[in-house]
Amino acid sequence: MSTLYLFARIAGTAVALRTDEIEAVVRLKEVSPVPGVPPHVAGLSALRSRVLTVVDAATLIMGAASAAPPWPDTGRYAVMCDVGGHSYGLLVDGVDDIAAIATPPLPLCGRVDRAWEPHAQGVVENDGRSHFILSIARLLDQCGSAQAA
Amino acid sequence: MDELLSEFVAETQESLEALTNVVVALEADPSDRARLDQLFRFFHTVKGSCGFLNLPRFERLSHAAEDVLSDYRTGGAVPDPATISAVLAVMDRIGELCVAVDSGDSLPDRNDEHLIATLRHCHEVARATREEGKARADMSPAGGDAASRAAPASRTVRLPLVLIDQLMNGVSDMVLARNELARKLRAQGRQPETDAAFERLSACIADMRDTISKTRMQRVDRLFMAIPRMVRDLSRELGKTIALGIEGGDVEMDREMVEMVIDPLTHIVRNSIDHGIETPAERRAAGKPEAGSLRLSAYQSGSQIVIEVVDDGRGIDVDAVVAKALAAGAVSERDVARLSEQERLDLVFAPGITTARQVTAVSGRGVGMDIVRANIERIGGVISLTSEPGRGLAISIRVPLTLTIIPGLVLNAGGLNFAIPRSAVIEILHDSNPAVSVARLGGALTATIRDTRYSMIDLEEVIGVPMAQRPGPRSLMLVRSASGIPYILAVSQVENHEELVIRPAAPVVMAAGIYAGMTLPDNGQPMLLLDAGGIAQVARLPLVAETVDAGAAREDAADRRAASYPALRFIELTGEERAIRLSLVERVEDVPVEQVLTSGGHCRVRIGDRLVPSPHPVRADQVPPGARVVTCLRIRDGVRELCYPVHAVVDISEVPVEMDLSARYGIVAGLVLIDGRQVEVVDGFALMAAVDGAAAEEAARPVRCVIADADDMWNREILAPLLMQAGYDVRWRRQDEPADEGDVLLVTAGEQDAVAAPDGNGPDGEKAVIRLRAHAAPAGPADTSIYRYDREALLGALSSFDGERRRA
Repeated sequence: MSTLYLFARIAGTAVALRTDEIEAVVRLKEVSPVPGVPPHVAGLSALRSRVLTVVDAATLIMGAASAAPPWPDTGRYAVMCDVGGHSYGLLVDGVDDIAAIATPPLPLCGRVDRAWEPHAQGVVENDGRSHFILSIARLLDQCGSAQAA
Repeated sequence: MDELLSEFVAETQESLEALTNVVVALEADPSDRARLDQLFRFFHTVKGSCGFLNLPRFERLSHAAEDVLSDYRTGGAVPDPATISAVLAVMDRIGELCVAVDSGDSLPDRNDEHLIATLRHCHEVARATREEGKARADMSPAGGDAASRAAPASRTVRLPLVLIDQLMNGVSDMVLARNELARKLRAQGRQPETDAAFERLSACIADMRDTISKTRMQRVDRLFMAIPRMVRDLSRELGKTIALGIEGGDVEMDREMVEMVIDPLTHIVRNSIDHGIETPAERRAAGKPEAGSLRLSAYQSGSQIVIEVVDDGRGIDVDAVVAKALAAGAVSERDVARLSEQERLDLVFAPGITTARQVTAVSGRGVGMDIVRANIERIGGVISLTSEPGRGLAISIRVPLTLTIIPGLVLNAGGLNFAIPRSAVIEILHDSNPAVSVARLGGALTATIRDTRYSMIDLEEVIGVPMAQRPGPRSLMLVRSASGIPYILAVSQVENHEELVIRPAAPVVMAAGIYAGMTLPDNGQPMLLLDAGGIAQVARLPLVAETVDAGAAREDAADRRAASYPALRFIELTGEERAIRLSLVERVEDVPVEQVLTSGGHCRVRIGDRLVPSPHPVRADQVPPGARVVTCLRIRDGVRELCYPVHAVVDISEVPVEMDLSARYGIVAGLVLIDGRQVEVVDGFALMAAVDGAAAEEAARPVRCVIADADDMWNREILAPLLMQAGYDVRWRRQDEPADEGDVLLVTAGEQDAVAAPDGNGPDGEKAVIRLRAHAAPAGPADTSIYRYDREALLGALSSFDGERRRA
C-alpha cells in the first residue's frame, strides 16, 4: 500500500511529510510577531478567520543559531496542519512535489546530523533523491518541550 | 412546559436510546463490567434528577434498578438474563413515562410495582440459585401503546459545541470575505444594481452572525428556573415559610457559564433556607415577620454578571465560624487575632467548615462553601459575603459575562498591539497626570497614585522588545493581579475598546505565561490577549499580601475613606460640571438618542426591552448635531435603577465628604472644590427620590378595569393587553360579583346598545362605566360611547375616572 507524501525542503534538507497530517500548503504574506516565546515561534498569521501559530521548522530543528531570513515580500510557504485542536503553520523553504510512494520507509543510513537525528523517522526515495520522513505532530510536540528545556 | 422537565425528558430519552444496545450487549456478555457500570450510572442519574423534579414514579423505578445493579457491581456476580430483561422492562417503562410526561398525559399507574417486584424477584432468585433460566417470570413488557402519543410542542436538539464553533468560524470567514468584496466593489466605483445585491447579502450575513452568536447565549434567568420549586419543597420539608423574590436579568450569558453557575447557586440557596432562615417560631421571637424573605437577583455590571442571594435570616455567626475553623485546623489562634471581621467571615470558605449546628438532610454534609467558591473561581468568578448577624446574609457572585466574547482594551507596546480583558483593568492614567508620580529605585519601578503605592512594570520589558519612541505620554494601567492586589502595567498607548472573540492560543504560546489567548479583530491582524496575573508572575512583582501592620494602614485608609469618597465627574447636558458618588454608578453607556423617550411628563430610556426611568429628557439642542448616541450613567441603588443622560464623563476624583451645603437645590446636594474648581455634587438620594416619586405615583394608579364580556375576542386579545400596558389592573366581570367601588366597568356597546349595566348603575354610565362601540361614528348625538380604536379617548376617560376617584 502506498503512502502519499509531500516533498519539501527545510533548512536546505529534503524532507517528506505524510499528507494525512497536512491540511494545505499556503503562502503566508505576513506574520504578527509574538514576543516572549521561543525563537522558533515565528508569530501568528490569520488565514481567513483561523489564526495559525506559525512555527519556523528550520529554527526548531537547527536551533536558534540559524538566523531566520528576513520575511520576503513574496511570502513564505507554510504547511498548514491541526495538532491538538490548534492550527499551526510550519514554515518550509519550499515545496517540490506530492507523490505516492509504494515502498515502505527505508532506515536511516550514514551519520545523520545531530540536529536531524531526533526528528528523522526514516528515508523515502522520490525522483532519485532521498528525503527524511518527518512527523509534523511529533515535531510540534517537541516544539513545546524544546521550549521547556 | 417546564423547560427543566423537558430537558430531563430529552436527556433521559437520549440515554435510553443509547443504552438499549448496551443492555443487549450485556446480555450477550453478562460479565462486561464497563457496560454494567454504564447502566448503573444511567439509573443513578435518573434517580438523582427526578428526586429533584419530583417524579416519584421515575424515582421508584430507577431506585429499584439501581439497587439491583449495585448489588451486581459490588458483589462481582454476573447478572442472569432474567434479571437483565427485568431491567429492560424497567427501562421501557421509564421510556413510556418520559413520553407521557412530555405530552402531558398521565400514564396509568398500572404495574410499576409489579415491574419492581419482578425485578427484585429475578434478582433474589438469581442470587439464591445462581442458575440461569429459573426465574423466567412474566415480564409483561408494557406494550407500545404510548408510542403513538402526540409529540411535544417545542422541540429541541442538542448539538456538540464543536459544531457551533465551526459554524461561528464559518460565519466569521464570510464576514471577512464580505469585507474584501466590499473593498473591491468600492474600487470599481458605483454600480447601483450590484451594490443593492451586495447590500442584501451583507444584511443576510449580519443577521446570520447575530443568530449564531445567540446559539451560545442564554438569558440569565434560566439560572433561577429550578429555584422556586426547590424553595417550596425545602421550606415544606423544614417547616419554614419563605417569601421568594426573583429578579431576572435581561442580560444573556454563555450557556456553558450558566451550567457552571447553577450548582453553586443551588447550594447557596439550600444553605440559606436550611441554616439562614429561622423557623416561624424563632422568627416571631426575634420580632421578624414569620415568613423569611429570600431574594435572588441577577444584573449586569460592566463586563460581569452579578448574582445576588439575599436572605433576612440569622446571618452567619462569625464566632462559630472562627471556632469551627480553629477546630478544623484551617487557621491558628495567632492568625485569627490578626484577621479583620470580614476576613473572619470569609473563613466560611475554608475547607471543611459548616455553620450547621447539626448535619441535616438538606445541607451540611461537608460539601461546603469551599467547593462553591472553587466552582465559581474556576470560571473566573468572585464570591463575596456580607453578613449582618440576626438580620440576614447577602451573597454575591460575580462571573464574567461569557467565556468566549469579552470586552477588551487594545493597547500598544513596542510597536505591537495586544489586548487585555477590560475586567482586569481598574483604571487607566497618563503618566503626565499630576496625580501620578513614578519613582525608580534600584531598577524597580513604583508608581504612587493618590497616596497609594503600586508596583509598576513596563510591558515592553516583560515581553523583551525595545521601547518604541513616540511622542505623548505613556499610559499606565492599574490592573488586577491573580492575588487581587493591583499593580501598574505601563504601555505606550491604550488604543481603543473592542468586543473580542477569544480563542485559545497554542500551548507553546501559552507556555510563555503572559498570554491568556488570542483574538482576530476585524482588521484581520491576529492579536494576543494578555494575562494580567501571569505578567505579574513572570515579572516577579512583589505582590505580597498585606502584612501584620497592614491593619494600621487599613485603619488609615478607612479614615481617609471617611473623609472623602471617589466620585465620577461629568458634564451635564446643560453644561454644568457635576460629580456623583462613584459607587452609585453601575456603568457608563452610550445609548442611541432615539431610545430616550418622554411620555406623560416622565422621561424613560429604553434599554434592551425595558424602560428605565431617567431624571431628565434629552432635548435636540443638547446633543451635537448629527450625534446619534448620548452618554448615559446607569445608576443603581440596589433596587431601583435609572439612566442619567449626560454630555460627557470627565474623570474619577476623590471628593471630600464635607461640602458647601448652601448651594443645595433640586438634585444638587452642595458644592465641593476639586482641583480648585467648583463642582456640584449630585444628591443620590434626591435623584432616586425624584424618580421614585414618579414611579410611586404610577404604582398608585392601577384602577381595576372590569371588562364585562370575557368571551369577546376583541376584549381578550386587544383591549385587555392595552389596559395592562397602560398600567391598569384588568379583571373579567363575573355575574355574581358586584363591581367594587372605584372599579371602572368597560362594556362593549352592541347593536342593541345592550348596556344592561348591572348592579344598579345607570345605563348611561354615570358611575364608572365606559362604553365602547365598534363603529367609528357615534350612533347619535346622545351616544357617549367611545370608538374602540380611539386609544386617546379611552385612556383619557379612564384617567378622568381615576382622577375623580382620587379626589373622592
